[in-house]
Amino acid sequence: MFTVGLREFRSLFTSIRSILIIAVLFGVTVGAARLVRQFEAPLQELGLGQDAYVMGLMLLLILAAPLFVTSLSHSIVNKEIDTRTIRFLATKTSRSNIILGKFIGSFLFWSVCITVALLLIIPFSKSFSVLNLIQAIIFVSYFIGLTLFLSTIISKPSLSMFLGIIISIALPVLGLWSTGTDNLFIKTLGYVTPYFYYMQEENDHYYTYFVAFFPILFIVLSLFIFRKRDL
Amino acid sequence: MDALQTNQLTKTYGKKTVVNSVDLHIPRGAIFGFLGKNGAGKSTFINMVTGLIKPSSGSFKVLGHSENRLESIQKEVGVLPDYSTFYDDLTAFSHLNYFQKLLKQSLSKQDILRVLSQVGLEEAMHIKVKNYSFGMKKKLGIAQSIIHQPKLLFLDEPTSGVDANAVLNIHSLIKEIAAQGTTIFLTSHNLYEVEKLCDEIAIMNHGSIQTQGTMEQLRAQYQQNIVIHIHHRTLSEKEQIRLQTSFTGLTVKIQIGETVSEITVPSKELIPQVNKLFVGQDIDVFRLEVEEPSLEEIFLNLE
Repeated sequence: MFTVGLREFRSLFTSIRSILIIAVLFGVTVGAARLVRQFEAPLQELGLGQDAYVMGLMLLLILAAPLFVTSLSHSIVNKEIDTRTIRFLATKTSRSNIILGKFIGSFLFWSVCITVALLLIIPFSKSFSVLNLIQAIIFVSYFIGLTLFLSTIISKPSLSMFLGIIISIALPVLGLWSTGTDNLFIKTLGYVTPYFYYMQEENDHYYTYFVAFFPILFIVLSLFIFRKRDL
Repeated sequence: MDALQTNQLTKTYGKKTVVNSVDLHIPRGAIFGFLGKNGAGKSTFINMVTGLIKPSSGSFKVLGHSENRLESIQKEVGVLPDYSTFYDDLTAFSHLNYFQKLLKQSLSKQDILRVLSQVGLEEAMHIKVKNYSFGMKKKLGIAQSIIHQPKLLFLDEPTSGVDANAVLNIHSLIKEIAAQGTTIFLTSHNLYEVEKLCDEIAIMNHGSIQTQGTMEQLRAQYQQNIVIHIHHRTLSEKEQIRLQTSFTGLTVKIQIGETVSEITVPSKELIPQVNKLFVGQDIDVFRLEVEEPSLEEIFLNLE
């Protein structure tokens, strides 16, 4: 499991796409922090305090994390099936190890990226919020799990990328819309997006931890399907 | 205990039965050849017993482990799949290092180098696999299948698409691995290869095992007539006619020549009688060649 995870983690760091995404992530984080610094006083008056520095990163994650994760990991499983490298893995380790390893590798990659992005804000905010880090990681892990699931049920990488992009655009729209509508259908759909839980009152941040249930569900479903699948 | 034992192993896709109730017993230590045309079900069979695809019905045991003990099977079995692609960004060395870790082995750098030199890839071990030729990838495929010194090795078409030199190298490698006590299950289209390497052979057709046995057993089973070429002293026309008539009732076909005659008899037991008839008529026999059916002929007879 950890061998597969480590391989996934390393390969994510070496692709051009991931380097670009890391650059955007860090660039926007530092840029937003610099911008916030210029408006420090008015933001303090609004009660945003030091959290304003983290807001840039969180906003970027909320809007772009689905696309970032999809673009890097849409073929996390089905590429191995498509190129048949899966046959080398599946004859050497269990299918559960492959799925869990893939998730761990991707999860580690995003955890490192978000941690580094938050570390880059320290010179501006003069603080490091572990709570924000955990919330950001849980948020991204929702999409890692979803991408893993899509890549397991869809056999063609091109199709999983297409569907992944559609979902990456639709989910934030649907999730944010559901928080401000009375439409029962949209509101119900909103419960399966992380946005509902992240848009709750400031004091109700424990809602965000509930989102951690979704990646677990996606992993369990992926394991169930992958174990039964002919490779 | 057999190296592989299948019981009514079946795989169906919709209404199509690809592997049909296969019962196969492969003894330990043998090089077992698995022959069949494209689409006969050979690769599906291998994929089932190596855990890549799920059987529709039936069961199997690999080295005494039942199919639900896949992790135990993986530790003792090596597999070269029919179509091998690798990670373009990795070298041969890093592939083997990755695979040995997946198998929970703790091989040293020297161990990996030994396997790479065994397949003849030691000089290219730090080159990324995307720059490898097809033959080199086949060799790497074999290397990854033997990295953990398996007791049973499945080689699915190990020489297909490989040049003649590489074929010879792979053949000697297979013999070398078998000599170390590894049971080898080899599928191939190449009848000559199977005939040359294998102790026992099974022929699969339309998903079923059509026949199984050693080359001798298959010959005995499928051999209809035996052709004998006799090289003798020069015969006069008179002697040729006399000889021709003396074989009546004994042979299926007779063709007496001036120095070489071709006699076709229905069974092996008649060979000494043919020789006696020549010698009895004072004809010196220099050489007697018995033409046995090749695997190809047996294979074609099964069509």
